[in-house]
Amino acid sequence: MPTPVDVLERRIDELRVAVRQAVLAGDRAQATALRAELRRAEREWDDALDEFADQTPVPPLLPIRDQVHNALTLLGVPAAPKLLIAVHEAFFAGEIVGARLTSLRRDEERSFRAAPRQRPYYLCSALTADLLAPARGLLAVSTWPLDRRIVGPLSARVDFLTAAIRIAEQAERHPGAERLLRRFAVNIPGATDSSFADVKPEVVVRAARAELAVHEGADRSHREAAAERARTQLDDAAQLFGSRELQRT
Amino acid sequence: MTSPERLRGAAAPKSHNARTIAALTTNPGCSRRAVMDAAGIDKERLAAYVGFPARFGQSQFAITRGNVFEAQLKADGCAELLRLLREVLGLPIPQVSYDDLESVDQLDARADRSRELLTRAAGGESGTLFDHPLLRLEVGGRWVYLEPDLIALQFGGTFYVVEIKSFAVIDGQADGTKVSAAATQAAVYVLALRRLLAEAGHDPGLVSHEVVLVCPENFSNRPVATLVDVRKKLSVLERQLARMARIDPILESLSPDLTFDLRPDSSGVPQRPVAELVDGLGQIDARYSPECLANCELAFFCRHEARGTTASLGKSVREELGGVPSVDLALSLASGAVAPADDQEEAAAMLRFAAQLRSECLS
Repeated sequence: MPTPVDVLERRIDELRVAVRQAVLAGDRAQATALRAELRRAEREWDDALDEFADQTPVPPLLPIRDQVHNALTLLGVPAAPKLLIAVHEAFFAGEIVGARLTSLRRDEERSFRAAPRQRPYYLCSALTADLLAPARGLLAVSTWPLDRRIVGPLSARVDFLTAAIRIAEQAERHPGAERLLRRFAVNIPGATDSSFADVKPEVVVRAARAELAVHEGADRSHREAAAERARTQLDDAAQLFGSRELQRT
Repeated sequence: MTSPERLRGAAAPKSHNARTIAALTTNPGCSRRAVMDAAGIDKERLAAYVGFPARFGQSQFAITRGNVFEAQLKADGCAELLRLLREVLGLPIPQVSYDDLESVDQLDARADRSRELLTRAAGGESGTLFDHPLLRLEVGGRWVYLEPDLIALQFGGTFYVVEIKSFAVIDGQADGTKVSAAATQAAVYVLALRRLLAEAGHDPGLVSHEVVLVCPENFSNRPVATLVDVRKKLSVLERQLARMARIDPILESLSPDLTFDLRPDSSGVPQRPVAELVDGLGQIDARYSPECLANCELAFFCRHEARGTTASLGKSVREELGGVPSVDLALSLASGAVAPADDQEEAAAMLRFAAQLRSECLS
């Protein structure tokens, strides 16, 4: 599809030819009118070009793995790319390009397997508690204790509540995070007042802690048992990026 | 007597899903559809080849919209879904366990794992939400894997099917046909889930006949959940599935050399003469009604075939004009040109009255 700039360029070419023909034919009135139109088209072309320059994305200040690491460190729990993008947008400068997240984990795994433990941290998988396989769509940080990277049946909720607490604690200093916090608050019982009008971080923290207390004990025992199993059964790389071998047993 | 394999010919059988199984129940009287589905014939291809391509299918936009809505509900450990279930079913706070059964790759391993986890939950052990369980159902003597975008919910010893749909509920009202279609699909899952538990020696009654239907509310993306009773759908479905297992009497009446093999050549282009196929289709009775257009790939062929019959005008006309098969006969009865037989007396009186009204209105 031709962009407006393409259309304008074609129009300018046509007008130049028309002006030349008018001058050669001695039609001065026509030539003046066409010249005016040519100037106008050229001005529009300049404006369109400026707009184009505005659209080109500014490259992010940090490499994507650092951006993701920042967001994950703030949350403190394994998280899906979508949440990481939202957290980064609310708390940090710059923008995570979603499309680049898809290959990130694979790149990290390749880098680890080629030269293990050369980097201070790796972005790795969360592991499912029963099969120790990589949990779908969850990213974690290799420096976290193994049991924090395990996802048991209750962990999705526990991680959600933990993330809500972490976000609420940070939200006071970041006014931009209110929308993100509201998204969490509406799904935690007692975290919002009846009108949903105002989300108070301290209320969210209290409500999330209350629900967390219900699940925490059972979840921790699941995770610790699975982490123990992972330590004895899996090699270094599989402990970080998950095993695909246990599925068939 | 012929066999489903012979009818299908060399082509690979077309697999069922909840949508096709649900479509089966909308016109249980149609032998043609029953035979075609039992034999696993690719109806869409057949219809296109005989010159009546189906002009429907699921819109790509609708599919994308559905996926986005589902992802939104399931994000962050099913946070939104849990809130809804707590509101609608009174799900207790401690019940938040979530198992994603899709994390296993192989189909049979997934089915095994689904069975293991679901029966364990039925045995009274923990487990609340089960995402993407892989269920099996026997349809026409073949096992069909159902890969549902559903969540099975277990609480208080009862299982519920949670069906997420992206059509809107506006002012508490939703499109009746869509709700009905969703309920039928959910009924397929309820049935499959019941069979799974029954096989494992549990009471199939553990699966509730009420399903949780989750839809967007009004014009927003805010989800709303309602309980839908699918008992009626379940009984229709069970009857229809039992009927498919008893497809033999219909097959017996067909000639033994009947087949719908398209005889594709090496490049996959069908070589079978169209007239032969049309003739073959004519051997199996169809029961066309206008609703078929939304459900069956062969509908345009059947509509063409049923032209001039009173049945093609819809179910209400067919019922009113029982015993009057064609439109021509109905017109002759109305004008008095043909004397009605005994069983046509009632319909003929009505037709004559209607003709009289019409002539009075237009004169």
